[in-house]
Amino acid sequence: MPVWHEKTRELVRQGKLVLLAVIQEQHPQRCRLFAQWQKFDWPILHDPINLLGLGGVPVILALDEDGIVRSIRPKMDTFEADFIDRSFPSPESAPQAVVKPTVPDLSKLQERARQAGSAEGWRELADALVLWGGVDRINQALAAYTKAAQLAPNDGDTQFRLGVAYRMRFESPDRRANDFQAAVDHWTAARAVDPNQYIWRRRIEQYGPRLTKPYSFYDWVNTAKAEITARGETPIALAVEPSGAEFAYPEEDFAEDDSPAQSPDPKGRILRDIQGLMKTEVAVVPHRGLSPADRPGYTSPCDPTKNSRPIGTTSPGRWCSGSTRPKDGK
Amino acid sequence: MKSLLFLVMICAALLSIGTTASADGYSPRVGSPHPDFTLPDIDTREPVSLSQFRGKKVLLIHFASW
Repeated sequence: MPVWHEKTRELVRQGKLVLLAVIQEQHPQRCRLFAQWQKFDWPILHDPINLLGLGGVPVILALDEDGIVRSIRPKMDTFEADFIDRSFPSPESAPQAVVKPTVPDLSKLQERARQAGSAEGWRELADALVLWGGVDRINQALAAYTKAAQLAPNDGDTQFRLGVAYRMRFESPDRRANDFQAAVDHWTAARAVDPNQYIWRRRIEQYGPRLTKPYSFYDWVNTAKAEITARGETPIALAVEPSGAEFAYPEEDFAEDDSPAQSPDPKGRILRDIQGLMKTEVAVVPHRGLSPADRPGYTSPCDPTKNSRPIGTTSPGRWCSGSTRPKDGK
Repeated sequence: MKSLLFLVMICAALLSIGTTASADGYSPRVGSPHPDFTLPDIDTREPVSLSQFRGKKVLLIHFASW
């Protein structure tokens, strides 16, 4: 994008071209930081749910005065001759321009979804709640997406967007203990519908294990902050700092180990769950925030009068055997 | 020859099944109007539509910072 920014700067200044970008990303502030770093001065719109249903990014399109696609991935060296200096025929029935776009009426959308009772109606409501209601209405968005998913469980878009909404709540003050895993589950369900959807795959990889990561997604953030600061500016504050898997580089070198595999419990001292009473699930969880024991006002669930003992000798106050696990604890 | 033709037909059928899910999304085509959309501006959160730029040439860039 920086190259196109440089190439078209003079054309934009002369009023010959509008540069408009849509960013496919969970966090808008990260894009704002990227734009500040690269000195982008054109409008950038946020589409965290892939509203358009693009198969991947980047996609660069040259649109004429009537909104008709005239070039896909235009060539930079002939851009002016091929597009700017050319006239294109107008269609007979060009759609009318929208003078002032407005935010959808969420109440009307809700009423319409209730009356129609269709997956499309609930998804449309949920989309609007995510885009225009933000985290304040994320629970309503989750409820609407859930209804859409119940009516159309194999709709990949709904599954992907449900994951986006869970991830939004995970990073909100209303965070629930299983939000992160729920996001991963729904993104995984979306990918099962269409394994070739590049944007869905990237969202999982953003938070996933480094083994499947093609490159570090947010290693540019620290460089950007340093260079912006060196320019004498204040970097855009990020609501959610990248961490863990988002910074990770793919692992490419593995040490070979031909030694025979050894059981971690050769004497069989660990009780086996032969009746399937226990179930384990694996999720990659970033280290962030305070543990329940470190939060102000935290009261240990351990009851010393009932012979319960803290699990882990170095961390008193975590959840204990014989007692209830804290609702929001790890 | 018949078996070869049958194999080609099977492959074509499988390929068409494999692309069905992707076909639901948007694939831009030269000569077709780009679907309109309204999304929030990342700075102002104000709604912006593609159609409000009608009458001007637009370079539309879909991208991500990752």
